[in-house]
Amino acid sequence: MSEVQRKKYSDQEKNNIFDNEFMPHIDSMYNFAYRLTFDEDDAKDLVQDTYLKAYRFINSFEQGTNAKAWLFRILKNSFINDYRKKSKQPAKVDYQDVETYYNSEDVDYSITTDLRVDAVKDMIGDEISNALNSLAVDFRTVIILCDLEGFTYEEMAKILDIPIGTVRSRLHRARNLLKDKLRSYAQNMGYKTDEDE
Amino acid sequence: MDKKSAASGEKKLSCEDVSKCFQLLESILDGEHTANSKEVIDEKLAKCAPCFQHYHLEQAIREVLKTKCTKQSTPAELVANIREKIQELK
Repeated sequence: MSEVQRKKYSDQEKNNIFDNEFMPHIDSMYNFAYRLTFDEDDAKDLVQDTYLKAYRFINSFEQGTNAKAWLFRILKNSFINDYRKKSKQPAKVDYQDVETYYNSEDVDYSITTDLRVDAVKDMIGDEISNALNSLAVDFRTVIILCDLEGFTYEEMAKILDIPIGTVRSRLHRARNLLKDKLRSYAQNMGYKTDEDE
Repeated sequence: MDKKSAASGEKKLSCEDVSKCFQLLESILDGEHTANSKEVIDEKLAKCAPCFQHYHLEQAIREVLKTKCTKQSTPAELVANIREKIQELK
């Protein structure tokens, strides 16, 4: 959130922004919160806190800019600052570890899994959702922002406070981890992969 | 030539620059390249089997993610709770 307050909105303007620019994103916000916390009550609290902060700091939102990205950034920061501390479930990968090991922009694109398109398309149950949920939170987050919510790399860089190159490499690693998971599901479903051959 | 190989044309079976190609295809799928992305895709997919497979797999995963992972329904009371709290702030 910017410290600089560009202008003060009137109460009427505040209500308009809140109703027309913030509230329409509630489903995306809840989906994001739920996939971060895996708990309905925690997700509700996180979304509610985010909207209250958004209202409180509404003067630092510049009308005409991307409200959804602004809200996602507040939610992500609230999750890291408030929620993660009291989380019952410790993060599988420490943020610092991720920064150290996974932020290299030099990504090996040749690592691919022999996962077939038809196997992916046949995953009609919870496989994809479970695979996504199994990823460490930083990897899960980039996939949610990019593939579920359609943010651009530039928007993701702002939401996550990381350089675009890091967004790109983290996303690629996240997708590789997801594919590893999906491949093991595909093997269980009886699809042949290279590992069997 | 059987039907299958005829359909796939004369694609290369290995890609000399997997790293660069896959990175490019992935950023096109992510909407990051708009200029001549259609031509790039058409050309690569027509000529290179690994690129063809990678592109379609990545595309399938994105589609399934989008259809299977965005259905979390927002609790009905959440909007009302938020509005109530905002009223208290005013």
